[in-house]
Amino acid sequence: MIHWTNLFIAEAGMFDFDATLPLMAIQFLALVFLLNKIFYKPLGKVLDERTEYVRQNGQDAKGRLEKATAIAAQYEQELVEVRRESQSIIAKAREEAQQVVTAVVQEAQQEIQQQREATSQEIETQKNQAFHTLEGDVDALSWQILEKLLGSELAR
Amino acid sequence: MDSLVAAASVIAAALAVGLAAIGPGIGQGTCAGQAVEGIARQPEAEGKIRGTLLLSLAFMESLTIYGLVVSLVLLFANPFS
Amino acid sequence: MEFFAGSKVYTFLPLASLEVGEHFYWNIGGLTVHGQVFMTSWFVIALLVIASLAATRNIQRVPSGIQNFMEFALEFVRELAKNQIGEKEYRPWVPFIGTLFLFIFVSNWSGALLPWKLIQIPSGELAAPTNDINTTVALALLTSLAYFFAGFRKRGLGYFAKYLEPTPILLPINILEDFTKPLSLSFRLFGNIVADELVVAVLVLLVPLFIPLPVMALGLFTSAIQALVFATLAAAYIHEALEGHGGEEHE
Repeated sequence: MIHWTNLFIAEAGMFDFDATLPLMAIQFLALVFLLNKIFYKPLGKVLDERTEYVRQNGQDAKGRLEKATAIAAQYEQELVEVRRESQSIIAKAREEAQQVVTAVVQEAQQEIQQQREATSQEIETQKNQAFHTLEGDVDALSWQILEKLLGSELAR
Repeated sequence: MDSLVAAASVIAAALAVGLAAIGPGIGQGTCAGQAVEGIARQPEAEGKIRGTLLLSLAFMESLTIYGLVVSLVLLFANPFS
Repeated sequence: MEFFAGSKVYTFLPLASLEVGEHFYWNIGGLTVHGQVFMTSWFVIALLVIASLAATRNIQRVPSGIQNFMEFALEFVRELAKNQIGEKEYRPWVPFIGTLFLFIFVSNWSGALLPWKLIQIPSGELAAPTNDINTTVALALLTSLAYFFAGFRKRGLGYFAKYLEPTPILLPINILEDFTKPLSLSFRLFGNIVADELVVAVLVLLVPLFIPLPVMALGLFTSAIQALVFATLAAAYIHEALEGHGGEEHE
């Protein structure tokens, strides 16, 4: 009579199970192994190698970039140092020049002072001398005047 | 074949697909609506949302397909014939 | 017009004949097999093998042509397996999942794109290999075996502890799940492919020209998605067996 197994063993229809099932399974497994050999392994290896290659190149590039950055930083530092040095040299030179100028000016001032002093001293001595001579002259003149007025005897 | 069994089988086949389409229909509508909402809220996630949407639509679709398989059994591999 | 005789042939127009449940039987050493399924599956297998041979014949670091295409396919299935199984354990499963996807995909599309029906065979007609319940059940059972194998290899007999999680009360449901998984996998694929074919056939029966084209395009889309779904679910089941605790439920 009617039984649910009719569904599967019926010699017709859509749901017709037979040896196709296990054979298809075996065939599929064979396909898996075959494709594993000729497709997944070789191409997978290529993919992995390429990933590795790209990674390595990336790392290399990164290393190079780091090196370049380091060199640039060093150069920058050197530049700063050199600039500082030049700055200090300039400052020193300026200071020295300043010192020289100050010294020269001082010397000149000193000289001027000295000359001025010497000159004023000379003027003083000449003045004194002049006074001296003038004093003698005044005496003589006053004597002469006196003689003239009183006569020479009286005047003694 | 018994004509009564034939008639019952045809009606059952029609009902199987028709009823099996209701639930997944509602589910797919809700799902698509939510997906659109998600895309509107976050347009940059559109690719991911669409992929997930298609996959889940396929899962819901398969529920109707089960009904279809039942109706195919009734029509083409009827165990009671 | 006979409906329930098991095998039937509807003939309205000479071009649009619709055969359901007709098989081209071969007898090999006392075993009965469906010849038309094997013929098309050999075609699909040959296509895959030729494509992979062509892709790996002259491997270069900078890929081009067929190598590029097959690398794209490989990366796609790798990504699929990685997303489902996880970074750590996906590698040994790539061949199985990838072959599942490629075989089903090429089968479905060959059924939808190639005019198999122009080739006359003594009985039945040529169609996609996945159009036959035997093929899909074979693939689904292999998937079941695969996840059992994965679970046993990873955890030995401790794999059975999975059936008692989260509570021993769920033991029957957990056991039942092992049966529903291959059942739903195989019937989903089979139902989708047959449904596509039937819808196209019925439309061709009604309007032979142009009208079936959009449905055919939809069929292409659906068959691609079904290949993806089958492979994704197989990977998800394997992941579940490897991980143990429940995992996400896909049904």
